[in-house]
Parts: sequence; structure tokens; C-alpha cells
Amino acid sequence: MKKIIAAIALFISFQSFAQIRTVNLQASGLTCSMCSNSINKALNTIDYVTNVKANIKNSSFEISFKPGAKIDFDLLKKKVEDAGFHVAKLTAVVNFDNEKIENDRHINLNGLVLHFLNVTDQQLNGEKTIQVLDKGFVSSKDFKKNAQYTKMECYKTGVTGSCCTSSGLVAGTRIFHVTI
Amino acid sequence: MKNILLSFLIFSGYSVCAQELFTWSEPASNMAAKGIGIRLNNTLMKENNSGKYNYHLLPEVMLGLSANLMIHVEGFLSNADDKFTAEGAAIYAKYRIFSEDEVHNHFRIALYTRAAINNSDLHQPAIELSGHNSGYEAGMVLTKLVNKIAYSAGGSLVHATNNSRDKKYFVNDGLRNAFAWNVSFGKLMLPKEYTSYGQTNVNLMMEVLGQTNFGNGRSYVDIAPTIQFIILSKMRLDAGYRFAMVKDLGRSATNGFLLRLEYNIFNAFK
Repeated sequence: MKKIIAAIALFISFQSFAQIRTVNLQASGLTCSMCSNSINKALNTIDYVTNVKANIKNSSFEISFKPGAKIDFDLLKKKVEDAGFHVAKLTAVVNFDNEKIENDRHINLNGLVLHFLNVTDQQLNGEKTIQVLDKGFVSSKDFKKNAQYTKMECYKTGVTGSCCTSSGLVAGTRIFHVTI
Repeated sequence: MKNILLSFLIFSGYSVCAQELFTWSEPASNMAAKGIGIRLNNTLMKENNSGKYNYHLLPEVMLGLSANLMIHVEGFLSNADDKFTAEGAAIYAKYRIFSEDEVHNHFRIALYTRAAINNSDLHQPAIELSGHNSGYEAGMVLTKLVNKIAYSAGGSLVHATNNSRDKKYFVNDGLRNAFAWNVSFGKLMLPKEYTSYGQTNVNLMMEVLGQTNFGNGRSYVDIAPTIQFIILSKMRLDAGYRFAMVKDLGRSATNGFLLRLEYNIFNAFK
């Protein structure tokens, strides 16, 4: 039994995900407090969300999570869209552990694949704020504008394709395009 | 009657922006997916000939099936035929086909359809699927929100069938089809600046509602101002008045009051 528990514990430890402390999300398409509240209520239905601090005036939401939870940016977006609105901007505070990043290259943070755009090559350590640039996470105008930063097809599809499977990622893995 | 109206002191919540939550028409925006809304619409319309006020109670349940599709189911009760009775029901569906959102503004287009049955006596050639006629309609609505102001315009083709219980459409068959339209405007008046969900929102709305019958070319055009209170960002009370500017297309009761109370349950089902 002990061995089984140890094996499970080991398995769980390998499942620890990239540490995302908070997400700040700005929604578009609304002005009033009632619309803001419908997004607020929708975000609060996610089981690993611990707190949503709304700024009604700016239509923005600071979202906190349970420690160690796997944060799914797509689920946050879906909650906003199900409430009837769209995401205008999403930033996340991520805890990096000496990760080397390069422009127009991706890194795999324990299952969270981030493809950096419009950045200088550098070493990331400690908490940094990243902005998600994928379709549906910025205005459609900005999505078109940001296309200048990469020629890779994964920018349009949001998943690994022939452009980025050489690093060992399975084709079709969700990949988030981000900047600092 | 006043007591009845005042006793319905429950309010509402909705996912579209408050200043486009029009009272006499629907905006192109939908309620949140997985939400349920309950409405009690009370109208008190003055009969043109007798001066008597007819009370109509229209309970309504709204379901957000997805971000783009919602349905309403309505019931119609009134004392128009002297005894307060149930007269009919309707189902309404709205599908958002276009949505362009930016921070603090949006433009949306939706298609909608309604089918109604009614057993009341017919007194007028104007077609009213919410409480008078059996029939159906299909239309389109466009809504633009910019900061604290919302504009909306919609139009629909309306067809009247015979009312149930052998109450035939009382005018000639050539008058069964009409075009109904609305132009609506709403402004968020209060609060001046948002600080919390607890602030009461006050909206002022002005709607122009019209109908033209294809058979005889006759029309009515009404003006309908409304004041709306949103409380705790989830409850709603509308008080409105409607009066006729153009009365060419006959109606038995043109002017009157509306009090709408609405309660919304967010994330009500999986």
C-alpha cells in the first residue's frame, strides 16, 4: 500500500503545473455593473478560482487561484464568452524558475506551452507578467497587427503544427502565444 | 389594482448591458448562457371607447441555452373579457448572428422568431402576438452600445392566424400580415461612476414602436418612455408608459402603463 501511495505521490508531484498566481482579464462589449456581474458570477463557477476582484469601471477582473491548480486560459475566455462578451486583454503573473526564453520560440512549463513573441532573448526568474496574444484574447485588430511577429502557423491555429513539433511536442498541443 | 402592481416587488438581472434592456422590445444581445430569468410583466391599458382599464399579466421564463441562443416562454392572462382568465401562451427564440465587441462598446445583430396561441376575443385589426392574437413572426434586431448609451432598431414580419376556441380572425383575410418595427434608445443615468455591484443603476429609455398592415397600408406609431432601476447588479424594475402618436391602424386600447419585474438566476443549470 505504501508503495502505491508513494507512486501516486510521485505521479502527482510530476503533475505540478506552472505556477500562475493571478490573471487580470479585461472584457469587452459592456459598460454597466450588471454585465460585469454576469462575468464575475461565471468566473466564480470555475472550481480552482478562489477570488475574483472586479473593477466595474474598467470591465476588468483580477482572478486568484488555488495553489498548484492548472490554469486554463481557454476556460477563462469561454466563461466570458458564455456570459455574452469577449476578452479584450488577458495578463497572467507567472512564477518562472530561470527559464531561458527566445523570440518566436516556445517553452514548455510543466505542460503550459508558451510561445514568446516580440521579446528579447533573456532568462526569466521570479514573477513576471505575460500577456496572451492568441485569437480571442486580444481585439481582432490587435490579433492581425501582432501577426507581424511570427510566420509560424501555430499563431493562427493555437496548437502545435509542423512549425513546432521538432521539440518533441505532440502535434495538436495547445500553445499560447505571449509577450512580456 | 395599484395594490396588485405594487405588491410585485421583485426585481431582475440580465447579462446584456442595462441601458439596452429595453422594456417594449428586445435588444440583439442575449442573456448569459446557462442563466434563467423570470419576469412578471403587468400592463394596464385604457380602452379607447369605454375608458375601462384592462389588466394584462404576462409571466415569462427566459433560458440562456448558449451564448448565442436564448428562448422565452410567456403566458397571457387578462381581464379584458371581464373575467380574469388565462388566454394564451407564446414561445420566442433569439439567435445572435453577429457580435463585434470592444472595451465599453459593442455592435450586435440577432434574428428572432415568436409563435403565439390565444383564445381571447379579437377587437382590433392591429396584430399583437403578446396577449391578443394567435400567430407567428420573424425578425431581425441590431443593437449598438457606446459607453453609457445604447441604440437599437428592429423589424419583423408578423402573421395572424385564427385565435383558438373558434374565435376566428375577425377582419378579412387580407389583413393578416403586418410589418412591426421599433427604434429604441437608452441611457445609463446613474451611477456617475462605478464603485461596486451594490450601486443602484438608473436608466432612461425612449422607444418608438410601430406597425403597418400590408393589407390596408394603415399604421400605428407609439412613443414609450421608461424608467428602469437595476438593484444589486442583478435585479430589475421597469416602469413605462406607452401612448399613440399615429392611430391609423385600429386598436381597442392604445395608451397605458407597464410595470415589469424581473429576477435572474446566473449559472442555473449545467
